Amino acid sequence: MIMKNFNKVYLSLFFLLIITSGCLEETPNFYEFNDYEFENLDENGGSWQTILVTNPSQISISQPEATNSSSYQSELTVLKQQMSALSTAEKQAVQYWSSNPILRWNEIALELAAKYNLIPGPNADGTYTLPNPANPVGPPPFPFAHPPYTSRMLAYLSVAQFDALVVAWHYKFQYKRPAPYHVASEIKPAYAPSQLPSYPSDGATVALVSKEILTTMFPLEAKYLEKKYQEHISSLVHAGINVPSDIEAGVIIGTEVVKLAKQRASTDGMAQAQTTKPVSDSIANAALERFGWKWENTETPQRPVGLTPLFGRVKMWHVPTVEEVRPGLPPVPGSPQFDADARELKQFAAHMTLEQRRVANWWEDGLGSYTPPGHWNKFAKLAIVKNKLNPLRTARVFAYMNTAIMDAGIACWDTKYYFHYPRPVETIPGFKTILGTPNFPAYTSGHSTFSAAGAEVLSYFFPADAAQFRAWAEEAAVSRLYGGIHYRFDAEVGITQGKNVGTYAVNRAKSDGAL
Amino acid sequence: MKKFYGSLLLVTLLYFSQVLQVKAQLPWDEIMMGRGEICAALMYEHSSWNQYWEGSYLRENANIGTFTRQMGMPMIAMGLTKKINIITSLPYVSTKASGGTQVGQSGIQDLSISAKVDWLQKQLGPGRLLFLTNAHFSTPVGNYLSDYMPFSIGFGAPEFGLRGTGAFKMDNGLVFRAAFAYLWRGQSEIERDYYYQDGSVYSSFMNVPDALNIHAAIGYWAFDNRLRLEATYMSLNCLNGDDIRSYNRPQPTNKTEVSQVGAWAQYYINSERGLGALAYINQTISGRNMGKATTIGVGLTYQFKVY
Repeated sequence: MIMKNFNKVYLSLFFLLIITSGCLEETPNFYEFNDYEFENLDENGGSWQTILVTNPSQISISQPEATNSSSYQSELTVLKQQMSALSTAEKQAVQYWSSNPILRWNEIALELAAKYNLIPGPNADGTYTLPNPANPVGPPPFPFAHPPYTSRMLAYLSVAQFDALVVAWHYKFQYKRPAPYHVASEIKPAYAPSQLPSYPSDGATVALVSKEILTTMFPLEAKYLEKKYQEHISSLVHAGINVPSDIEAGVIIGTEVVKLAKQRASTDGMAQAQTTKPVSDSIANAALERFGWKWENTETPQRPVGLTPLFGRVKMWHVPTVEEVRPGLPPVPGSPQFDADARELKQFAAHMTLEQRRVANWWEDGLGSYTPPGHWNKFAKLAIVKNKLNPLRTARVFAYMNTAIMDAGIACWDTKYYFHYPRPVETIPGFKTILGTPNFPAYTSGHSTFSAAGAEVLSYFFPADAAQFRAWAEEAAVSRLYGGIHYRFDAEVGITQGKNVGTYAVNRAKSDGAL
Repeated sequence: MKKFYGSLLLVTLLYFSQVLQVKAQLPWDEIMMGRGEICAALMYEHSSWNQYWEGSYLRENANIGTFTRQMGMPMIAMGLTKKINIITSLPYVSTKASGGTQVGQSGIQDLSISAKVDWLQKQLGPGRLLFLTNAHFSTPVGNYLSDYMPFSIGFGAPEFGLRGTGAFKMDNGLVFRAAFAYLWRGQSEIERDYYYQDGSVYSSFMNVPDALNIHAAIGYWAFDNRLRLEATYMSLNCLNGDDIRSYNRPQPTNKTEVSQVGAWAQYYINSERGLGALAYINQTISGRNMGKATTIGVGLTYQFKVY
């Protein structure tokens, strides 16, 4: 009798399990959003000021064949054939890439950042080997996509996308060749119909620049990126929005813009950012002589050089000289203000609330993650979809935000290594933290500068949500106090510095011809 | 940057949280208590490692040094009937590392409730053949953060397990036992909404992989069944999940695997009722995404009859 009851108990437990396993939360790999109609087509977008390109006419594409030409008509025939025989995978690809594929390439960039954001561990003899772009396979593999690296990667990606789209827009509204589904009404596009001319293909130009910039930044991913590129290109025809000649013209524009981006990247100073130990020591000693303190790495075995000591000398996008955004002296260790801020950290650590812990972790964006610049790109993506931006507007948001974030990183790194300020685990005896202490000086906080710059730019583009963006930046800043790795003055001055840097980008955006 | 890439012991830990369902009995042993019998136990366990497997690569990490986990656990086992026993436990766990600058974690871990059923006891030649099942459910009750490995005190997700235990208990006191379990694991809620698991995941939930769990033992009952000695083996293998990435920290999605050998001794001072004591040791012999831990545990048990 009891046994029978127990059978029932087991059986009901089993069914309970089946039922509850149906209630699991989703763990999506990309942002799923509904296709939307662009809020605006920006017909004058081809006249907007570009960042790398001097003038759209410096990149030329041939005049397209008319839609009643036999060559165009045969392209349409092929398009219709392909659309009528799409595999499931091809249909999924069309849905995935969407009518705003910059969002997907941005997600791919963040994914690669997270994949490569792994700090090299020590060798058996206690030395460290740094990633080497001349031998990307390593070990360790190249790159280590730390926050400065990722900020720069995203800046070049977004600038190249933006410039290429301005050029594409220039020719779109010069030639005004309609989309295939306006030429042949039996073609049903996969996305909301629009009056955006389809020659040259904006999707193809985005695909080309994204693949090329990301391959430069992540050389070991060349094959993966080529596969993504091919899938994206095919989806343009499968969605009914481009014929091959649209795509070829888009690729030509993208190829030319990539050359300009690579040219700038090869001479922006990033190659010298990670210094030798003698250079690193001389930077530390300069601070010691000037201020009486220096930061030191606290890992075991000790890392001989901090992270990119000369990232502060990398060429900025919108700020003429890094010195003009360098803040003043931080509180001297042992001074009353320092002591107050150090005491605050000890109090947080001793009485951490759940909300403080949550904030510290939500903003951690540490090793293995997409970094704080990645976090702000996610915010931008959500705002872009919410506001139904077209690809050109999307690229503009990312370009100004990511250049501002990279500038903020440069300014922050300049400050970090100029003042060479020690971390809380160095100045507070016995202090232990819930976040790992990074391999670079404390003042100013990178999270704070990156976030304040990102918030400043997003607030300009999306004024309705400005309060939220700025609140997020403040939260990002204070999260580092809860984490035990920054003093309040690192965060507060970092916020001011980031806002200041962001304003340079916003001022340029205000006068770029887009309203 | 963060420097506490270590490994966890998590599943071992979790495993022990359930392991310790003492008194006379563990969820996977052949022992049952009579109707109305209650056994209350208090356990202490100390576990440490200075090497861990990053994927299948056994390594050290000076920023962890020696990792120590301590656990105190009250447990109550009860004979609902002669054939059905209920076992519950609620461990308090504390972790720390000798190296690095990161703080450990302490707190109440997972409440576990398990029901053990005696299905078969049959004399067969020189001994008795036994078959039992055990169903257990455990779930985090505190608010510890699972996404803080290797310091996390648990994997932060509910677990439901079904286990079958077969044993042959010889009349001369020797016992041969093997238990196989399937462990369903749910999701662990974390405090970030993006993480990397073989690619981007935009979620604040991590899927903790299901696992197979095996226990085996050769035991001997001596001194009129007052001393119980066992040589034990345990393995736990997640069925999927990712590896710890190079010099990175573990996370609850990892495919953890571990096998251990150990010894167990339990002594009932007054035969059936009253005070008892136990001690055990386990050594991890192989693993994946786990610390190579050595564990010792001691406990006191007190058994009485209520109805």
